Amino acid sequence: MTVSTNIYKPFRARLEKVIEESPLIKTLVLVPETEFSFKTGEFIELTLDGIGEAPFTPSSSPFVKDRIEVTIMKAGYVTGLMHELPVGAVLGVRGPFGRGYPIETFFGKEVLILGGGCGLAPIRSLLYTLIEYKDKLKKVILAYGSKTPRDCIYKPLFSYLNSIDKFEAHRSVDIADENWKETVGVATVMLDKVKVDIPNAVAVVCGPPVMMKFGTFKLLEMGFAPKDIFLSMEKNMSCGLGKCGHCMMGEYFVCKDGPVFTYEEVKNQPHIW
Amino acid sequence: MNTLPEPDEITKHYEMPRDAWEKALTSLLGTYTLYAPVKRWDSIDYELISSENSSKIVYNLPKPVSPLKLFLLPVKENVVLDSDLQKPFVVLGTPACDLWALDLLDQFYLHSDYIDPYYKLRRDKMILVGTDCHTSLAHCHCSSYGLNPFPEKNQDLVISIIDGKVILEINSLKGETFIEKLAAESKLQPSENGFPDDLLKIRQAVKSEMDSRNKRLPNYQETTSVVKNAGEDTWKNHSKTCVACGACATICPTCTCFLLIDRPGFEKVRQMDACQYPGFQRVAGGEDPHKQHFVRFSNRYFCKYVFRPEKFDALACTGCGRCIEACIGKINKNEIFNELTK
Ligand SMILES: Cc1cc2nc3c(=O)[nH]c(=O)nc-3n(C[C@H](O)[C@H](O)[C@H](O)COP(=O)(O)OP(=O)(O)OC[C@H]3O[C@@H](n4cnc5c(N)ncnc54)[C@H](O)[C@@H]3O)c2cc1C
Ligand code: SF4
Ligand code: SF4
Ligand code: FES
Repeated sequence: MTVSTNIYKPFRARLEKVIEESPLIKTLVLVPETEFSFKTGEFIELTLDGIGEAPFTPSSSPFVKDRIEVTIMKAGYVTGLMHELPVGAVLGVRGPFGRGYPIETFFGKEVLILGGGCGLAPIRSLLYTLIEYKDKLKKVILAYGSKTPRDCIYKPLFSYLNSIDKFEAHRSVDIADENWKETVGVATVMLDKVKVDIPNAVAVVCGPPVMMKFGTFKLLEMGFAPKDIFLSMEKNMSCGLGKCGHCMMGEYFVCKDGPVFTYEEVKNQPHIW
Repeated sequence: MNTLPEPDEITKHYEMPRDAWEKALTSLLGTYTLYAPVKRWDSIDYELISSENSSKIVYNLPKPVSPLKLFLLPVKENVVLDSDLQKPFVVLGTPACDLWALDLLDQFYLHSDYIDPYYKLRRDKMILVGTDCHTSLAHCHCSSYGLNPFPEKNQDLVISIIDGKVILEINSLKGETFIEKLAAESKLQPSENGFPDDLLKIRQAVKSEMDSRNKRLPNYQETTSVVKNAGEDTWKNHSKTCVACGACATICPTCTCFLLIDRPGFEKVRQMDACQYPGFQRVAGGEDPHKQHFVRFSNRYFCKYVFRPEKFDALACTGCGRCIEACIGKINKNEIFNELTK
């Protein structure tokens, strides 16, 4: 049995750099020892040797082939230990897995992106992809919410996006401080302010389950069709391959059939949020 | 009621006295590893067969306590190190329900997108001698789900013993090879007789016995809607004595769930898991769509009768009845279904 045919065996990647994004979020820049490429929205299983494995969606551009960036929120055991890794550490990677964003179906349309917390990680990769295809898109609007100004990640990304033709980026925080000049309130309040040609637009939502749920309801209320709302579902995952059953959401295996689904596809499945 | 296959569909079979069969079988123990059911207390289960215990093999009795899947998916297996499995192995005495379960297991583990190399290796090395059930147990209900109590699919050979005479049907190339080796040892010739009448009679009798015992039980398609339409209260009610031990899933021939556990050196161990355990769907931050016990309890029913059938072309419950026998909370899914269709 050779390595290349073993779906359970990770390949190695060296931690080249750690970027502090917020008190709870770090980006690990990894140099894979094996040729690696992914499509935006697909995810990897990252192994901390002998400790555990967790799914992450690379936050880097799929057009960059020699590095994988993974933005990790300290959420528990494995992610906590990943935050402590020194530069030079070797991690294991399996993947890419799953079904990412169907970018081609966004062509000719406006794209409204609603993100919260660490949900901005996969969205950043999506944004890099959309920038590559900007000639084929009408408009891209990002609405990103976080708890406090300290929790906002990728700060330079926003001014960069606002400097690109056809792109606009908005931010909100639940609790502001004295220096905050942007929106205050949950992420969905930004949706009241943006101008979108809804019949010719798609919406993308990625964030914590509560935000996904209320964000989706808000988009439906605004008039988005369920088939035009793209959700990136977060479920417990172990294998990433559609075998272990941990990510089951009704008939779907989120790891293989998703993680990106349209709301149309999942709306009748039980316990989706 | 489904009909039995016509005798003329069955082509080649062998007949021999039981002692000749046992002698030939033990002579092959160098070539093959052999597992077969042996009686233990009041049940039967597979054991590794040697010349010492080969005479203790029991035939045509339902059903080994262990589901067939355990030969393909050990409870724990290192799935990064090279496998040391070399010798082909024969599993003798597998009943029809477990053979049908292979359809679902194969669709999972041999799916062309991602082939599980360890499952495949074992599957390739496995020779399956299925067995007719010449009787049925209290909770056997394969016939309610359209199956017959004798091997029809996925086996390489079928064995029955009637009045001290062994009847062997050959059903695959692997079966042919096995019988050739066996024949070399025992000068075996294909039988000139027609397919034994006695066996056909037994097949019909066992099926009728099971059908009449499970008369009220809804069939598979009906069960799908019974499960879909059962309200929260049904699951809350019936899960009261469930202690989430996971025995129902462990023992189920079609349950496939597992967890990957990390070991130093980027090794991983695939360990069988179950949706019945708390935390199976827990995500970071403690959120869990299956936090409530009754939701986890109902998931097994939805998985078997609603979700899997939507996605796979295979039965996700073969009616083996093991989950009923294994339940320490005395939960009987068939009683639940009978009640819901009253
Ligand atoms: C497709 C996908 C993409 C993702 N992308 C990102 C991303 O880009 N960035 C990011 O920060 N996060 C991402 N996540 C979330 C990330 O995978 C989780 O935050 C991570 O798995 C948490 O691991 P942990 O060990 O730190 O958390 P913990 O809360 O310690 O543990 C979470 C996991 O361990 C299991 N577990 C822990 N303790 C127990 C117990 N006592 N009993 C049973 N089970 C237990 C849980 O069931 C769960 O599987 C993504 C998730 C998915 C599904
Ligand atoms: S659900 Fe129960 S009866 Fe059905 S195959 Fe599994 S163990 Fe057997
Ligand atoms: S989800 Fe539950 S019922 Fe379905 S295969 Fe897994 S353990 Fe069995
Ligand atoms: S993570 Fe294993 S089936 Fe989806």
